[in-house]
Amino acid sequence: MIGEATSSGGGGKDDSPAAVSGKKNKKPNYSRFTQQELPACKPILTPGWVITSFIVVGVVFIPIGLASLYASEHVVEIVERYDKDCIPPDYRNNSLHYIQTSETDKNCTMTINVPKHMKSPVFIYYELDNFYQNHRRLAHGMHKEFPFKSHLCCLWILKVEFSSVVDMIELTQFGARNLLFGKSPQKISLDKSENPEFVFIRMTTKVEKSARYVKSRSDKQLRSKASEGTTETCKPEAVTSNGQPIVPCGLVAWSLFNDTYKFSVKKEVLGVSKKNIAWKSDQEHKFGSDIYPKNFQNGSLIGGGKLNPSIPLSEQVDLIVWMRTAALPNFRKLYGKIEKDLQANTTITVTIENNYNTYSFGGKKKLVLSTTSWIGGKNSFLGRAYIAIGGLCLFLAVCFVFVYLLKPRPLGDPSYLSWNRNPSGQMN
Amino acid sequence: MDSQNPFEGEIYRRKGGNSVREVRHGSRGGDIELLGLSHKEIGDDDARLVYLNDPVKSNERYEFAGNSIRTSKYSVFSFLPRNLFRQFHRVAYIYFLIIAVLNQLPQLAVFGRGASIMPLAFVLSVTAVKDAYEDWRRHRSDRVENNRLAWVLVDDEFQQKKWKDIQVGEILKIQANETFPCDIVLLSTSEPTGVAFVQTVNLDGESNLKTRYAKQETISKIPEEEMINGLIKCERPNRNIYGFQANMEVEGKRLSLGPSNILLRGCELKNTAWAIGVAVYCGRETKAMLNSSGAPSKRSHLETRMNFETIILSMFLILLCSIVSICAAVWLRHRKDELDILPFYRRKDFAHGAPQNYNYYGWGLEIIFTFLMSVIVFQIMIPISLYISMELVRVGQAYFMIRDMLLYDEESNSRFQCRSLNINEDLGQIKYVFSDKTGTLTENKMEFQCASIWGVDYSGGRTISRNDPVQAVDGKILQPKMEVKVDPQLLELSRSGKDVKGAKHVHDFLLALAACNTIVPLVVDDTSDSPVKLLDYQGESPDEQALAYAAAAYGFMLTERTSGHIAINIQGERQRFNVLGLHEFDSDRKRMSVILGCPDKTVKVFVKGADTSMFSVIDRSLNTNIIHATEAHLQTYSSMGLRTLVFGIRELNNLEFEQWHLAFEAASTAIIGRAALLHKVANNVENSLTILGASAIEDKLQQGVPEAIESLRTAGIKAWVLTGDKQETAISIGYSSKLLTSKMTSIIINSNSKQSSRRSLEDALVTSKKLTITSGITHNTGASDAAAVNPVALIIDGTSLVHILDSELEELLFELATKCSVVLCCRVAPLQKAGIVALVKNRTRDMTLAIGDGDFPTSVRSIALCFPEPNFGEHKELRCANDVSMIQMADVGVGISGREGQQAVMASDFAMGQFRFLVPLLLVHGHWNYQRMGYMILYNFYRNAVFVLVLFWYVIFTSFTLTTAITEWSSMLYSIIYTALPTIVVGILDKDLSRRTLLKYPQLYGAGHRQEAYNSKLFWLTMIDTLWQSVAVFSIPLFAYWASSIDGSSIGDLWTLAVVILVNLHLAMDISRWSWITHAVIWGSIIATFICVTIIDAVPIFSGYWAIFHVAKTELFWLCLLAIVLAALIPRYVVKFLYQYYSPCDIQIAREAEKFRSPRELRNTKIETNPILGSPHR
Repeated sequence: MIGEATSSGGGGKDDSPAAVSGKKNKKPNYSRFTQQELPACKPILTPGWVITSFIVVGVVFIPIGLASLYASEHVVEIVERYDKDCIPPDYRNNSLHYIQTSETDKNCTMTINVPKHMKSPVFIYYELDNFYQNHRRLAHGMHKEFPFKSHLCCLWILKVEFSSVVDMIELTQFGARNLLFGKSPQKISLDKSENPEFVFIRMTTKVEKSARYVKSRSDKQLRSKASEGTTETCKPEAVTSNGQPIVPCGLVAWSLFNDTYKFSVKKEVLGVSKKNIAWKSDQEHKFGSDIYPKNFQNGSLIGGGKLNPSIPLSEQVDLIVWMRTAALPNFRKLYGKIEKDLQANTTITVTIENNYNTYSFGGKKKLVLSTTSWIGGKNSFLGRAYIAIGGLCLFLAVCFVFVYLLKPRPLGDPSYLSWNRNPSGQMN
Repeated sequence: MDSQNPFEGEIYRRKGGNSVREVRHGSRGGDIELLGLSHKEIGDDDARLVYLNDPVKSNERYEFAGNSIRTSKYSVFSFLPRNLFRQFHRVAYIYFLIIAVLNQLPQLAVFGRGASIMPLAFVLSVTAVKDAYEDWRRHRSDRVENNRLAWVLVDDEFQQKKWKDIQVGEILKIQANETFPCDIVLLSTSEPTGVAFVQTVNLDGESNLKTRYAKQETISKIPEEEMINGLIKCERPNRNIYGFQANMEVEGKRLSLGPSNILLRGCELKNTAWAIGVAVYCGRETKAMLNSSGAPSKRSHLETRMNFETIILSMFLILLCSIVSICAAVWLRHRKDELDILPFYRRKDFAHGAPQNYNYYGWGLEIIFTFLMSVIVFQIMIPISLYISMELVRVGQAYFMIRDMLLYDEESNSRFQCRSLNINEDLGQIKYVFSDKTGTLTENKMEFQCASIWGVDYSGGRTISRNDPVQAVDGKILQPKMEVKVDPQLLELSRSGKDVKGAKHVHDFLLALAACNTIVPLVVDDTSDSPVKLLDYQGESPDEQALAYAAAAYGFMLTERTSGHIAINIQGERQRFNVLGLHEFDSDRKRMSVILGCPDKTVKVFVKGADTSMFSVIDRSLNTNIIHATEAHLQTYSSMGLRTLVFGIRELNNLEFEQWHLAFEAASTAIIGRAALLHKVANNVENSLTILGASAIEDKLQQGVPEAIESLRTAGIKAWVLTGDKQETAISIGYSSKLLTSKMTSIIINSNSKQSSRRSLEDALVTSKKLTITSGITHNTGASDAAAVNPVALIIDGTSLVHILDSELEELLFELATKCSVVLCCRVAPLQKAGIVALVKNRTRDMTLAIGDGDFPTSVRSIALCFPEPNFGEHKELRCANDVSMIQMADVGVGISGREGQQAVMASDFAMGQFRFLVPLLLVHGHWNYQRMGYMILYNFYRNAVFVLVLFWYVIFTSFTLTTAITEWSSMLYSIIYTALPTIVVGILDKDLSRRTLLKYPQLYGAGHRQEAYNSKLFWLTMIDTLWQSVAVFSIPLFAYWASSIDGSSIGDLWTLAVVILVNLHLAMDISRWSWITHAVIWGSIIATFICVTIIDAVPIFSGYWAIFHVAKTELFWLCLLAIVLAALIPRYVVKFLYQYYSPCDIQIAREAEKFRSPRELRNTKIETNPILGSPHR
C-alpha cells in the first residue's frame, strides 16, 4: 500500500546501473532523515548525571522552601469562627428556625485581638466550610443548550396556562419567533373574554427549553441587558412565578452570601473598602454595566443576599466575587479590605449580621483577617513540600554516591551483556 | 519456490498448457476439493454463451458486465454515508459515538455539545479526507483506463473504440505491445501457426513470454472479409487466472478451448504483429479484476496483548465510575432531608406555585445517571486515541522501512514493500523463521553443472563454450544468450556424431535436454547490424532454461517452437521434430514427457522427472549396471547440493503410438474430467523407459544468505527451512548456507510409518534432552543461549511428516523441534508447508515468520484456492499448496519480490528483494518498531490514566457530582493537541540503539522475545507510577490552595498545565535520541498547551474568563507547577536509574557502549559505512 503510494515520489536519480530496462529507478534517495540518522543527542542516566541533578534540585528547592515558609510565617492571620457563637442561647437547639425567620435579631458582636502588627491592606475574608460551590448544580463553566440547534426548525406545542401572564417578555424568553394565529411575534394579545383555559402557542423555532441538568447560572445574562431573558440555564431560579426573568438568575446568585461585618476599634469605625476585591476582568467583561438586578430573591424561598436594584451588575462586587465559584468545598472569599495598619494587641469589635444559613448543612462560617505576602496567604504547605522534596533529593544524592562508591558498574561493559555473562548467571 | 518441488530439484511450471486441470465455478466455491477435478459439464445454466461478432445477441439478456471498470469505492453522493458506514465498523469509533450520544442526553450532558463531538468528528474527518483522496486517485486511474482505445470490429471494419464501450461478443484486434482490454479468446494471429506471445507481468509479475494459440479452424479467417459465425460456451467468470474451460462451435465443429486459448486483460501482446480475438469476459468479470484483492489483514501480537490490558483499564474505569456513583448515592442519602433547601443543591423548584422536584429523579435513577455521567467524564481512560496513533505510527514506520537503502534491491530494482500496516511491531518478536529454499535462500538462477549419461559421469574440467560452430539460420547467426561451462569430454563426444561408441546415448540425452521442455526460443531483436543474434530461452522453469542452454552449448540448439513442431539445430544442422504430444508436469506423476516425431520417422517419448518417480517407471531389468551407476551419481550430485533430474526414453512402435494418440485426442478434447483422463494417458505412455542419464543443476545461494542465517541464529531465531529437495541436497545446502554447522548435532528422522516415526521421535527427544541438559544451566540467561551452546539440528523428511502431521505425534515433534535451533524439512510437499507452520503457530505464543517467493507450479489448481473466499471457512490456508499458504498461515508473511511471480507478494505482509534483507528487517526495524510500539502503548495508557485520575480525585471534593475544574475543552484537546504529537513522533523516530549496534550484536533481538518492551510487570509498574503521579498532580495544589480564595477555573488551569507538562516530561525522560524533531514536538506541545489554555480563558462567555492571567501572576502558581513536576517524576527517575544501573538489560549496556566505549572503534565503523551510504550520490 505504502510502497505504491510513496514509490512515485522516489527515484529521482536514474544514473545508477540498476535502472535497467528503462524502468524508473526505485532506489530510495539518501537523506539523513529517511535513513533515520538525524544528528541527535543520546542522553544516558549515568551516576554522575543523576547525582548532580539531585544535588541541583536539592540546592534549588531548599532555599525556595525556606523562603516560602518564611513568607508564610510572616503572614498574620486571624480566623474567628462565629456561626455557633452568634446564635443566641435561646435558639441554640433550634438554630435553623433562628436563621430562617425574619423576626429574630441577627446582629452579633465579637471582639478580635490582633496578635501582631498587621500591615495594610488587611484582607477580610469570609470562609465557608462544607459548602460545595463546585457542586455540579451550581458549578459554573458550561453553557448548556437544548439539544436541538437553534436554527433547526422544530415544532413545539406549548401549553401555556392562561392564568399566567402571556406577554412579550415571556415568549421571547422562550425564544418564540413565530406564533400561532399568524400574529407577529412582537404582539400577542389574548382576548380575556374568551376565557380559555389554555392557549396553545406554536413556536416554530429556537425553542430552548431549559436543559435539565444545568449549571445554574447564565453567564450570558450577566453580560448585557440585551440577553436579560437568557435564563434557560438557570433553573430552578430562572423566572419568577409569573414568568418574569430573574436577574441575576440561577442558584449560584440565589445563594449569595449575605452576612455583613462592621469593624470598629475603640468605638471608632474601621472603614472597609470594597475596591478591587473583584477581578477587573470580570467587572469589565463578564458583568454588564447596563443590566440591573431584577426580581431577585422575590420568590417564596430566600436563598441569600439581596441586591440593590439600582446598581448595575458590574458594580455588585460582592456578587461578582461570589459568582467566581470556589474550587474546593472549603473556601474563602474576599469581603473587603481594611486599608489601615492594625497594631499588635489592638482589640477590634466586629458587628456581624448573621444572615446566611449554613446551619441547614452544618457548614462553618469564619471571619478571616489576613495580611498577604508574595506566597499568598498563610499556608506553610508549599514551603514544607519544597523542603521535603529538596531534602529527599539531597538524601538520594548522598545515597547514590555511597552506593556508587561501594558497587560501581563500568558503563557499557560488554561482559555484562546477558549472553556474555558466565553460565552461573552471576554478575561480577 | 521450492514449493513446487516435492521431489528432487525439478521445477516445472507449466501454466499455459493445453489441458485444464481444475476449474472453479465462480465464487461459489463450495464444491472445491483440493484434488478433486471438476466434473461439471458446462451446462446451459452454468455457461455463458458468446456469439462471435454478435455483441447484441450475446448481451441480449443483459447479464454480462460491460468493460468499464470501477475500482473506486465511492461516488460524490455515496461518499458520506458509505464512508461513515465503513468507518463505524471499528469498535473504537463506536465507543466514541456512544459517549457522544450519551452526552447529548440532557440528563447526562456533562460536556457541551461541541466539545463532546469534537474527538469523534476529528478522527472521522481525518480518515474521511484520507479516504476521499485515495478514492479520487482511483477515480482518476479508472477514467484513464476506461478511455483507452482499442480496435473493435464494427461493420466489417476495425474501428477505434474506448475500452469502456467494449462488449462481450465483439471481435477485437490487438497490435503488438498493446494491452488486452478484456479477456479474449484468441481467433487468429499474424503468425501463420496461430501463436501469440503474451507477457503477463501485470497479472502475475512473471516477465517471461507465454504462448497462446489460436485454434486451427479459426486461424485462416479474416473477420473483415468474411463473417465469422460461431458460439462460445464458456464457464462463468471466475478468478482462476490459470484455468479456462470452454468450447467453441465454428462451422458445425465443436472445438475445446483451454487456458492456452485465452488472452487476459492486463497482459501485453509481444513479438506478434497482431492478434484477433473475441471478448468473452469484460470489465469487472475479467480474471484480472476478480483477482485484485488486497492482502488479508492480521492483528499484531502486541495489539492482542494490549487488548487484554485495555480490558483491565475498562474494568478500572467501571470501578471508578462505580465508586463515584455509590459515593454520590451515599451522599444523597445522607443529606436527603436537606436536599430541598440546600443552597447548592435545592431539589425543589418553587418558581411555579406548588414546589416540584427539580432535576431530581429519585436516588435510584440518580445513581444510574451519575454512573453514566462519570463514564462520559472519564471516557479517555480507554485510550481510543491510541488506536489512531498506532496507525499513524505504523504508517511512519513503514515509510522509513520503505525508504531504507539497506532494504533496496539493486538487482531487481525493488524497494521494500509494506503491504500490511498492522503488524510492524511483530517483526521485533519473531522466534521462528520458516523459509522456503529455492528462490528464497537461493537465487533461482540455475546453472547446469554435471551430467551422468549412460552411467558415465561428466563433471570434469570446465571451459566456457564459445560455440564456435556458427549456427546459421536464414543468414543469421544465433548464439545462446547465456554461456554455459562445458565438459570438454562430453563436448567432444557430442560433436563426434552417432557413430562413436556411447555417442548415441549422448545424442539422445542432449536431445532430451533440448526437446523435453516447454521453452520458447526467441531471437533477441537488437538494432545492431551484427549478424550474430542472441537466442533467448523463455521458459517458466529456470531448470528447463538451464537445461536448454546446456543442450545448446553442446550443440543441440532449440531454435524454434510452434504449436506443432520444434526445430533443433543439431551440430549446425537444422532438424525438425513434430511435437505429437506433451504431458505436462504434475505433482502426482512428478515428471513430464514429450512425444516427438523424429526426422527419421520414429516416434520417441522423452521423459524427465524426479528420481523417485523416474526409477519407478524405468525398466529396471535393462541396463542394471547403468541404473546403479546413475543412482550413485545422483547420490554424489545431491550431496553437492545440486538439483537432479533423471531422463528416460522410449521408442513407440506404430501400434503403441496409435493407441496413445487416440487416447490423447480423446482426453484432451474431453470436457468432463479432462485432467484425470490426461493423467491416465500420461501414465500409460510413461512406462518401461530406458534410462538415459541424469542432469545436475546448481541452484546458487543468494548473496549474503550464510551471514544472514548466522545472524538470525545468533539472534535466537529458530530457522526452519522447508524444501522439496532430497535429504542429501538439503543437508549440503544447509551446510553451505551455514544453516547447519559442524558444531551442531544432527538428528535425522527418516521413517516410513507411524510407528517408526514415533520411535525415532522419542529417541530423538531423549538425545536432544541429553544435549540440552548439559547446557541447561544457561536457560536462565535467555532462551537463545541453550541453543547456542550445544545446538541441535533436526532434519526430517516429508514422508515422516506425512505420518506425524495431523496425528498425536505432532506434540512430540513440536517438543523436539522447540529444542532444536535449526529444523530442516526436506522433500516437503507444498501442502505440508502450511501444516508445519501451523504445527508451531498453534502450540506456542512465539511469533512465526514465513518467507518465500511464492511459486506454485506443481499445482495450478491451488492458485484458485489461495484467494480468500468467504465460504472457504477456517482452513482455507491449508488448502493452498504453496508458499502462499505458508505466508498466510504465519504470523508474519514475507514475500520475495522482484524476480518471479507476484503471488507471494500479494499474499504477504511485507515484500522485499533478497533473503538477506531479513536481517536488517528483523534485527533493526523489527527491534525498533517493537520497542517503539511497546513503549508507546504503555505511555498512552499512562497518559490517559493520569488525566482521568486527576479528574477523579477532584470529584471527591465536589460531593461526587462530576464537576471538572479542568474545562471541557481542555479535556477534549488533551489527547488531540496537548499530548498527541510527541508520542506519535517518538513512536516513529526514537531509536534505542543504532543500526550498527543492532547488527553487531544480533542477540539484542532477544529483547523482543523476552517481551521486554511491553509486559504485565511493566504495565502494573506504569499504573502504580500513574497513581503516584496523579496524586502528586492533584494534591499539591489541593493543599497549597486549601481554604484559600482560589476559584475553580484557576486551579483547573493549574491542573491542566501540570498534567500536560508532566506527561510530556515523562516522555522526554524516556526518549533515547533527541533530534531536532523530538525537541520541536515536546516543547512545542507544552507551548501549544499554554496557548490553548490562554485562548480558552480569553473567551468571556466561558466561566474561566481571564483566570489564567490572574493565577499566572502569582508565584504560588509557578511554584506549584515546579513542585508537581518534580514530585511526580522523582520516583520514576530513581527507579529507572537504579534499574538501569544495577540490573541493566542488554539494550542499556549496548546503549552505554555506543556512547562511551572506544570512540575510535566507532569512528572506524563510520568510515566503513560511509562509502555504502555515500555511493548512491555519485
